[in-house]
Amino acid sequence: MKYIAVPIIFFFLLMLQGSISFHQITPNLTVLLACYAGIKGREMKGMLYGALIGIVEDSLSGAFLGPHLLSKSLVGYLSSLLYSRFFIWTPYLGILSIALLTFLDGSLVFLMRGIFDKMPAGAGAASVVILAQSLINAPVGIFLKPKDLHQNI
Amino acid sequence: MPKKWLLLIFLAVLLLSFSVMTYQSNRLHLLPLKSFHAVLDRLYDAKTSLKDSLSAPFRRMLIRESENIRLRKELARMLQEEQAYHEAVQENKKLRALLALKEHEPRHVTAARVIGRGTDFWSKTVVLDKGLSDGIQKDMIAITERGIAGKISDVFNSYSHLLLINDINFSAAARLQESRTEGVLSGTGSRRCMLKYIPHEDEVKEGAVLITSGLDTLFPQGIPLGYVSKVNKKEAGFFQDIEVIPFVEDTHLEIVVIITKG
Repeated sequence: MKYIAVPIIFFFLLMLQGSISFHQITPNLTVLLACYAGIKGREMKGMLYGALIGIVEDSLSGAFLGPHLLSKSLVGYLSSLLYSRFFIWTPYLGILSIALLTFLDGSLVFLMRGIFDKMPAGAGAASVVILAQSLINAPVGIFLKPKDLHQNI
Repeated sequence: MPKKWLLLIFLAVLLLSFSVMTYQSNRLHLLPLKSFHAVLDRLYDAKTSLKDSLSAPFRRMLIRESENIRLRKELARMLQEEQAYHEAVQENKKLRALLALKEHEPRHVTAARVIGRGTDFWSKTVVLDKGLSDGIQKDMIAITERGIAGKISDVFNSYSHLLLINDINFSAAARLQESRTEGVLSGTGSRRCMLKYIPHEDEVKEGAVLITSGLDTLFPQGIPLGYVSKVNKKEAGFFQDIEVIPFVEDTHLEIVVIITKG
């Protein structure tokens, strides 16, 4: 059931991402799925889900393979690592971590495209977009609790 | 899973990403899962058709609503224009009648517009926008194309008061146009006037037209006053009780022509 639900949610998020915009800024919703996989599962699961999401997103983006693969894998891995090794989850920390992970994802994609292909946008415009995406995603952090929260405490 | 393996896999993913990107930077872009586009496109299609089918009735409603508002505005504007047009036609008619009156009336002084009703509830007077400075004097006669409207009761520098034909203080020497029977027309304070001093022997028909006789030296001869609406011979007394409806109704009075007294 989970293996059917995840692709459905992923495609739904992709569709939603392509359909809505706030002041011409498209939200980055797929990163939330990578965070979810990382936070709810372990490092390995987060990283693999992130890699899968990244490959599909790269393929659908029409640019080239790699930036999303790298960023989403890293986000999946780090989101799991944060609460299993370093911090104890709290709502505020959840908000902050989702914002930072979204920022990391956006920045990595931008940097990789700039380095290996061509700059997709100016640095100023890109930073505004990434910041806005982080702010949009941040409130979701309240709901993304680690599975074994009480065990950690 | 041991940490060592995890780190290795992580490094492998990083290495894979960088190698793939480095490879593509000099060659064609690799897009292995491009066929997923079809899935996404179908989803977009489904979303669009669902959105359309859900929003179409509301959109149609909005279009109808805006159309309705536009048409209402258009209708209001056109009604306003039509009203203005009718007003202009009516005014034109009145002015033409007044002009004809002016041309045929040698005693013409000026034309005046009614600017207000008298403040006294009991008297039937109106205020005219012309006064002494326009040549109007007390006891001058106000007429319209229909007949006598009244006489000037008070005059000030730039406006004057007109005592209407149906005021209780108004009276004029009158004559029935056909039978030439003479009497006195007096106001009653209501819509109707009374024709007084007509003996019982004289035959007065309902609908007979009453004109000024000129015997009072105030009103010129032959100006229409009104028509007989009711004749009552049964009551005791020397004279008939005759009701007259004036041709000029005070509620419809807008412009009058002032003429000198007879």
